[in-house]
Amino acid sequence: MAERQLMTGNEAMAEAAIRAGLRAYFGYPITPQNEVLEYMAAHLPQAGGAFLQAESEVAAINMCYGAAAAGVRAMTSSSSPGVSLKMEGISYLAGADLPCVILNAARGGPGLGNIAPAQGDYFQATKGGGHGDYRLIVLAPSTGQEAAELAGLAFDLSDRYRVPALILADGMLGQMMEPVTLPPPRDPGTLPPKPWALTGAKGREPNLIASFALEPTVLREINVKRYARYREIEAREVRWEEVATEDAEVLLIAYGTMGRIAKTVVRRGRERGVKVGLLRPITLWPFPYAPIRTLAERVKAILTVELSAGQMWEDVRLAVEGRTATPFYGELGGVVPTPSDILQEVLRYA
Amino acid sequence: MPKGKVVVDRERCKGCGLCVAVCPFGVLDLSKDYNSSGYAVVTAVHPEACTGCALCAQTCPDVAIEVYREKAAAGTPTRGAGRP
Repeated sequence: MAERQLMTGNEAMAEAAIRAGLRAYFGYPITPQNEVLEYMAAHLPQAGGAFLQAESEVAAINMCYGAAAAGVRAMTSSSSPGVSLKMEGISYLAGADLPCVILNAARGGPGLGNIAPAQGDYFQATKGGGHGDYRLIVLAPSTGQEAAELAGLAFDLSDRYRVPALILADGMLGQMMEPVTLPPPRDPGTLPPKPWALTGAKGREPNLIASFALEPTVLREINVKRYARYREIEAREVRWEEVATEDAEVLLIAYGTMGRIAKTVVRRGRERGVKVGLLRPITLWPFPYAPIRTLAERVKAILTVELSAGQMWEDVRLAVEGRTATPFYGELGGVVPTPSDILQEVLRYA
Repeated sequence: MPKGKVVVDRERCKGCGLCVAVCPFGVLDLSKDYNSSGYAVVTAVHPEACTGCALCAQTCPDVAIEVYREKAAAGTPTRGAGRP
């Protein structure tokens, strides 16, 4: 029988990560993700894992690098300013082809900003906040339940493709308490083997893990091979949800917390006879360009709604390529619009 | 009217405002007083209006609110009196 518990989004992601076989967590406190650290401190050692509160975010991500290189499922979490600090380490993880899960319970920015929910970290998450040609698998949950499911998926995808995965949540999702049905725990011993890991070279050739290749043609080859994996991820791992898109005239595009609010907008709009639908990206990279392009052929307008000044909006416009109108509605600084605010915008294009 | 008193555990409060919305008497509001996590904690702006109904405490998802009810004076009949 499935276990159903009332927990915050942060706790749901932490517990789901432990159940997915996480055995090394390194973090540093910052609101609004402190519950992840607190949960890990209490529960990860019980599962036989290592919890460590690092001396900084930079230290934490580099501890993840070490643990991941040893073949262990590793994770760190933070909120926006702390994730900025991790960016150097994230680029090194990407350059060393190491799997790792990074959780960003994002808050208002830039700078120290505030601790209210925001989506201003989309560019950082999806376009490369660190240096170099690299991608992260970016997952955007919109409920506590989905947060738990995507936490498990993040580890599986990250391991399968040897690409770090980032869960882009926000302060609202992290703090809100909801009933969550948790997946059964997995034994790390039953996970697919990692023959590339640094486990001691007894009876085999030594493995080398590095992000350094001085010879340009060698580094080019490494990058080309990595991009082949990125292309495979783009072909196989795009995830999204559609709500009432069959006959929609105005299509909302929103992810995470805004995706959840947009669902209410669709329900209320439909009650009033407004033909409004929603496409909610679940993977922000790879981004669902193709389904948006298909819908762009038959809707009057695609209204992107974000807790930012318009970041995902750029990807929406890349998908639409002028096929239909692409207005935008956003809120800034941690202000969260109500369903009525958004419905008013929808009515302008219906 | 019965009298009540709301006590907020300021370090547990995340300033979500659910208790503010649910209080029938406008007792609570968000303050400008921030706890160590940075949340504006809820406070009783009209404590005199509290009846001790405890809807706020039942609504609070973080169990941050306790409500105390004034004891009736000895000999005062209480509503729905059953076993002591």
